Amino acid sequence: MIARFVLAIGLAILMVISGTTSYIYLSSRQSHAVAAPQKPTDPTPRAQQFTLPGTIYLAQSGALYSFSAGRFHQLTPEAGWTQPALYPDGSQLLAVKRSGLFSDVYALTRFGNVTSQLTSNQAAPRSRWDTGANAWSFYPRLSPDQRTLFMSYDGPKAAGDGNFNVVMQVWGIPLGGTFRQGRSWTTANNYTGGDMQPVPVPGGIIYTKYSYDSNANRVGQLWFTNRAGTAGKALTTQAANCSQPSLSPDGHNVAMICNYGKQVSYLTIATWNGSALGPLQTVISDQLVAQPIWAPDGSGIAYLAPGGPAAPFQLWWLPRARYAPPAPTPPPVPTPTPGGPHSSPLPTPSPVPAPTPPVVKPVQITTNLGFDATSPLAWLG
Amino acid sequence: MPLGFKPGHRARASRRRLSPFRTLTIAILAIALSAAAGGFAYFVPAAVTAFNATAQVVKVPSPSPAGLLFSPSPSPSQAAQSQGAFTVLLLGSDDDSKFFADHVLTQSMILVRVVPATKEVTMLSIPRDLYAHLSTGGFGKIDGAYSYGGAGAAIATVQQDFNVHIDDYIWVGLLGLIKVIDAIGGIDVVTTNPVLDDYYPADVYGGDPYGYQRVAVLAGPQHLDGIHAMEYVRSRHGDLQSDFGRSKRQQQVLMAIRQKAKQLSPEDIPALATAIGGELKTSIGLDRVARLVPLAASFDNPDAIRQIVLVPPYTHGGGPDGSINPNWSLILPLVHQYFP
Repeated sequence: MIARFVLAIGLAILMVISGTTSYIYLSSRQSHAVAAPQKPTDPTPRAQQFTLPGTIYLAQSGALYSFSAGRFHQLTPEAGWTQPALYPDGSQLLAVKRSGLFSDVYALTRFGNVTSQLTSNQAAPRSRWDTGANAWSFYPRLSPDQRTLFMSYDGPKAAGDGNFNVVMQVWGIPLGGTFRQGRSWTTANNYTGGDMQPVPVPGGIIYTKYSYDSNANRVGQLWFTNRAGTAGKALTTQAANCSQPSLSPDGHNVAMICNYGKQVSYLTIATWNGSALGPLQTVISDQLVAQPIWAPDGSGIAYLAPGGPAAPFQLWWLPRARYAPPAPTPPPVPTPTPGGPHSSPLPTPSPVPAPTPPVVKPVQITTNLGFDATSPLAWLG
Repeated sequence: MPLGFKPGHRARASRRRLSPFRTLTIAILAIALSAAAGGFAYFVPAAVTAFNATAQVVKVPSPSPAGLLFSPSPSPSQAAQSQGAFTVLLLGSDDDSKFFADHVLTQSMILVRVVPATKEVTMLSIPRDLYAHLSTGGFGKIDGAYSYGGAGAAIATVQQDFNVHIDDYIWVGLLGLIKVIDAIGGIDVVTTNPVLDDYYPADVYGGDPYGYQRVAVLAGPQHLDGIHAMEYVRSRHGDLQSDFGRSKRQQQVLMAIRQKAKQLSPEDIPALATAIGGELKTSIGLDRVARLVPLAASFDNPDAIRQIVLVPPYTHGGGPDGSINPNWSLILPLVHQYFP
């Protein structure tokens, strides 16, 4: 038996605690859909304890990260870093550091220390109505001989020129040189955004060119040019709307994304003979694929795609067996039954049904992260 | 009688004490009530915001065919009655410090018709510079209607010029879109091309409503936060189609918001309400919102969503003060086809 007074006091305390707890609990609740991405270095369980060969470099929230042996390492602070690319000899990294009005290309060690600034695109505005002669440099890549730095660049421009037609063109400048010493390799279409993401290949560059189609929609196409200032030629159609090329390690295939004018993004591959692409082969059509990159050992393709509907982008892995299934084993040859000659024809062995190849599905490597899907991946073998 | 014992003492003491069963029942009841009260207190601000934002009653000025009073429960059109279809006018405004409150231009005007029976949605973007007869009197760019007479004037102008019946409207401010997209955790969009603009208004976070900033939204699939989504839909200088191109991007982002909204749960409502606070108004009542949410979630076929932008020959340039002239002989049959 409890005295009523004691009960009243106890209940009052219980109600205050219960009400407050309920409020705090609800305040702390948030659906998974709106949760902010975690840092890659946070000690959380991965979707798959899956180890990819070598080291992958990627960007999230303005910082560069390396991913090797199943672990992430933060290379730079969150300060506008994006679009890492490797020197062809694997000795250093290129990356873009982006500010509000301009961006520049830097060379970094593989541990994220800046060794040199390769462009200088900052120019102070002359007034508050002027954004000045600032320029963007994006998607840096080095030629195989490491002598020419390719990038998309929207300069040179003059302060206060009032030009609304801001387009990027692919430039090639000597590594360590200036734009005065370089040349524009492409001529962008006006009011399209221009030419982006150059990929040096033997004998030239493959890049994404944006243009208007017959319905006045802006579409991407892969183009190839072998010399600065030449028109080059289209490798894909406007209807396919492809972008983000990536050359395979053996140089015989190109991976890209194509969306055929819809809010989709298919992982697509095609053979490459040095001047033209073969037929496009759609490999993944049920994900929003971005920035595909081939494994240096040819074992598959890594790419970025949302971890769920309308979610931030995660790292995914597609084994080679998905797009290049192994050749089927030949059927067994019938052998005579031992024990003497046959007067009658040999019995025909019952046909063995060809084994159905297992469906190879993409593997989600990370969860709860939010990689920059406009930043290509770099992969060191 | 033992010493010290008084008659009735035991009875009074027993009345002041409760049995364990009754005590437990009261305790459970108290916990349940107080927990519910805590939950109620948590959702009250969201409910207040929702009540303030919804069921806006606006006066639609004559000569609108819809009548004088535009209420949250309008009488639907004949076609709507037959199929349960309804038409909503989406309005988006720059509401930064350049403008007086409620006297803003509508940078974005999108007519949306929803046919629940067939799960079809049609979105028609009206160019903000369209030279039209304004319901408030005279002619001018259609984006000025809201500035002169609020939502009612914007509705009446669209109704009279496009010969459509509008059941409801939704108005969203510039910051509202940014905050909503952030509150829902961002959206996935396949941006069609690099959107580069050296003269993008620095009026949101730039601190100077008349200054400029540079914008570069790169192309391809990506997860956009509010500020970058706004840059993508608002920039027009780098687009040969100017406002038309921007309209296409606006429709694209609306679709992405709808896609993301399907992933939300009730626990996200307070954050969403906080984001919306003061940046969203609609004539749709809360009860209809509750009915529309599951309806929106059931529209899962993107091919059933029709997007229309009034590019030439529906319109052509050369109107007064930089406006766009409508070609009504082409526009009205198109509108009649999809907004009967």
